Amino acid sequence: MNSQLSPRSIEFYWNGRRMEAREGDSVAAALRRNGILAIARSRKLHRPLGHSGSYIAGVLARVNGRPNVRLDQEPCRPGMRVAMQNVWPSARFDLLAAAQLLPARWVYGGFEHSRWTPSGGRAYAVWERLMANLAGMGTPPDASLPAAARPARRFKVEVLVIGGGVAGRRAANAAAAAGRKVALVTRGETPGRFSAALGFTLEPLNEAIGVFCGMELFGCYREGTLLVAAPHRHDEGAVAFDVDEIVIATGRRSMPPLVPGNHVPGVMDAHAALELAAGHGVMPGDAVAVVGTGAEKLVAERLQGFGASVVHVGAIADLRRIIGRRCVRAIDVGRTVRCDAVVHAGPWRADPNLLFQIAAEGLFQLVVDDTPRRVSVVGAAAEEDEPIHVPATLSPDTLVCPCMDVTAGELLSHIDAGETDPEVLKRLTSCGMGPCQGYPCWESMLAILAARTGRPPGEFRRPSHRPPRRSITVAQAAGLCGVVEPDR
Amino acid sequence: MPADETMLPTKTNVLIVGGGIQGLSCAFNLAEAGIREVVVLDAGYWQGGASGRNGTLIRAGFLTPEWTRLFHASYEEWRGLSKRLRHNVMFSPRSYTVIAERDATAAMFEDALPVHREVGVRSAILGRRALEEHLPAIAHDRVKAALRLFDGGVAPHHAVMKGYLAACRERGVAVHYRRAVTGFEKTGGRVSAALVGHHRIVADTFVVAAGACNTALAAQMGVSLAGYPMRIEAMALEPMRPLIGPAVSLQDRLCYMHQTARGEVVGGAEVPERPHNTLRSDPPTMAATAAAYLAMFPRLAEMRIMRHWAGIIHVSPDFGPMIGRHPALDNVWFSAGWSYGFTGAPGAGALLAAAIARGTIDDRIRPFAVDRFERGRPIAEAAINLAPPDEISGDVATPSTRKDLDRPLGAALTT
Repeated sequence: MNSQLSPRSIEFYWNGRRMEAREGDSVAAALRRNGILAIARSRKLHRPLGHSGSYIAGVLARVNGRPNVRLDQEPCRPGMRVAMQNVWPSARFDLLAAAQLLPARWVYGGFEHSRWTPSGGRAYAVWERLMANLAGMGTPPDASLPAAARPARRFKVEVLVIGGGVAGRRAANAAAAAGRKVALVTRGETPGRFSAALGFTLEPLNEAIGVFCGMELFGCYREGTLLVAAPHRHDEGAVAFDVDEIVIATGRRSMPPLVPGNHVPGVMDAHAALELAAGHGVMPGDAVAVVGTGAEKLVAERLQGFGASVVHVGAIADLRRIIGRRCVRAIDVGRTVRCDAVVHAGPWRADPNLLFQIAAEGLFQLVVDDTPRRVSVVGAAAEEDEPIHVPATLSPDTLVCPCMDVTAGELLSHIDAGETDPEVLKRLTSCGMGPCQGYPCWESMLAILAARTGRPPGEFRRPSHRPPRRSITVAQAAGLCGVVEPDR
Repeated sequence: MPADETMLPTKTNVLIVGGGIQGLSCAFNLAEAGIREVVVLDAGYWQGGASGRNGTLIRAGFLTPEWTRLFHASYEEWRGLSKRLRHNVMFSPRSYTVIAERDATAAMFEDALPVHREVGVRSAILGRRALEEHLPAIAHDRVKAALRLFDGGVAPHHAVMKGYLAACRERGVAVHYRRAVTGFEKTGGRVSAALVGHHRIVADTFVVAAGACNTALAAQMGVSLAGYPMRIEAMALEPMRPLIGPAVSLQDRLCYMHQTARGEVVGGAEVPERPHNTLRSDPPTMAATAAAYLAMFPRLAEMRIMRHWAGIIHVSPDFGPMIGRHPALDNVWFSAGWSYGFTGAPGAGALLAAAIARGTIDDRIRPFAVDRFERGRPIAEAAINLAPPDEISGDVATPSTRKDLDRPLGAALTT
């Protein structure tokens, strides 16, 4: 791991311990630079989780009195106090991790579903309070924090491009060249980080294009005519767009492998690994295994180019398990390969959330029919989703939704009992109801459902993808009052 | 829960259209009353309707004696529901606290107390000290008065619906989801059969408890039913450890909320809009809910909104339920027009089932007769978080920056 600090180093605190970071680091990068892999604990069993690129719960921590701050999007600042959540009494000695000793079946559907304490009485009230304290992730924000609405802004554009990679830039430039009023929204502080890290040449953006960086476009309302984005920074307001045409250029992400240990700190998707390496000079580990569906060679080469030591490159289908409890120790690919990081580069699937919001309709269930003609999907997001490899002997210990602590075993227990409706599975297990809101875990859930029932994956209707997926705070949402009027 | 692969029957005693909490509660109570052959059909998936989308708040008391008697009866059912169903419905009797920010609303609380006392609902107006202990996180300087309904609380819909469905099936009730009723056959002043596509089910008695679809189903039966479908929205914040103990209604902001057993603050505020018959959500509701939270629970300011969704209810002209036999159809009963359906279902199901099984209408559902609007007898209940679109007043901060719309794009952009 590259731990050489530049002269422009800053100090911050992790669980009260003083650490050094480089100016420009995200907190997640700074922690990795200091050898900290386990950032969070899962909800039910308090399994250690880290920066995976796949699951948001693994990068949530308390920062300066604010709970659930996304450390991969939070710049590290001098004196910042960062602390692990959901631990008691302390991060170093978490007694709550004793929950891992419970039989898995006891926590299917959540701790709060007690069979021993019937509801309606005083004993249940005590039980419920106890469970709420165990399951609540962070403690409430400090009372001293300011509580004012962050005023929102609203713009009218002809073309809104979502995503700043190769395809998004091309689409935005083409529309601007045609004289149209164009805005581009991108998550990164600079548009197109992943494309750049992969070595693609990015065309410069036409100066007439309004560029909104460091923002999550989370909501497509009124059939995609009113779109809402919020900045990662909590002290700035949200932005609403009145839009004629939408270009979705949000790319694809790699789906986590469905093997035991897939949630252990040190397992990352290609996006997160390349962003750390290219953006911060921090390697995923000292000995990196790269697995994928074809792109693993390219990703491994790029990581090596940034200085990473790659010890294994292979197909995702050959990966049997990831070994290690608190961090990655090795992988089993038919033989044991010692490594301390696993980077997965495929199967690649697009995030269906925005298209779902635009196109889904129905009075009994929201179902995507046809995408309106005003909406185009370009670049990797338009490519066909790759199938998720479900091992023939799917281990029940495989985590499907680490945020809500849902294992393959829990899903299989319901599927084997005859429950095959994804919406019902979601309600019975809470799978996908955490901060990620179903991506990537519903992709995994549907793949397991299809594999177990022998029915084609396309036959299952996906659960409703709902905004805003934790992209906006209460103060930012309150700032939308008067900016977006009710539809009278 | 086993998937429903069984064939539909051709004949049954009671056919219930709607497998939400109203339909299942009625079916369960019919089975308990010894009625055999009860079939429940639902066009959507289990928990897909308003029963799986509501705020899960439970309360016994309102302002009118009519509402209070009915919902008190339901509250008594809630207290023993886990034992009756023999499934844990996770009913949490943590009380329900209504907050007034205006003098007129505070005065309304004073009027409610004697009604509650007469019916037997335990409630009290909290003093400042008591409120500080009960709800420390609230913005106390904004509170004019707080009415605490000790007979109130919450229960998560997934546990409740699971309990009802399992209890129904254990008692021989056939419950089928994703089976839409497509039409009815009539003979004289009675409905004789329901059609599910090409399949025909003959039944002696029909119960319509289909939420947003009630008016459409009544039209299919060739009769009218007052009211219309309307979207209601709610949202959940990211989970955190306990901050808000009771169920809370911010009466003057038409906003309700509570913190779930897994730490999410779930709630919603009403905004004036024309009725929408859709499951799509819209940002003004999220903004109004957030503004209400921000004003009344400032510590929620930096909490993030995880999801925001809509459900559809059938709104009656006075927002009160319509329970009983349809005046134009001898063998068709309705449990319709619910805006507080989740809290009312255990009681309404028991009383409606008793009416169907024994033919006697209980005094607690009699005022909510289906034809009360034609008879000029609506019930004006003021203590609810719903109002006709034009009567809802926005009391929340509304920084208007709409002018941004017309500004040249480049000048206002952050690059």
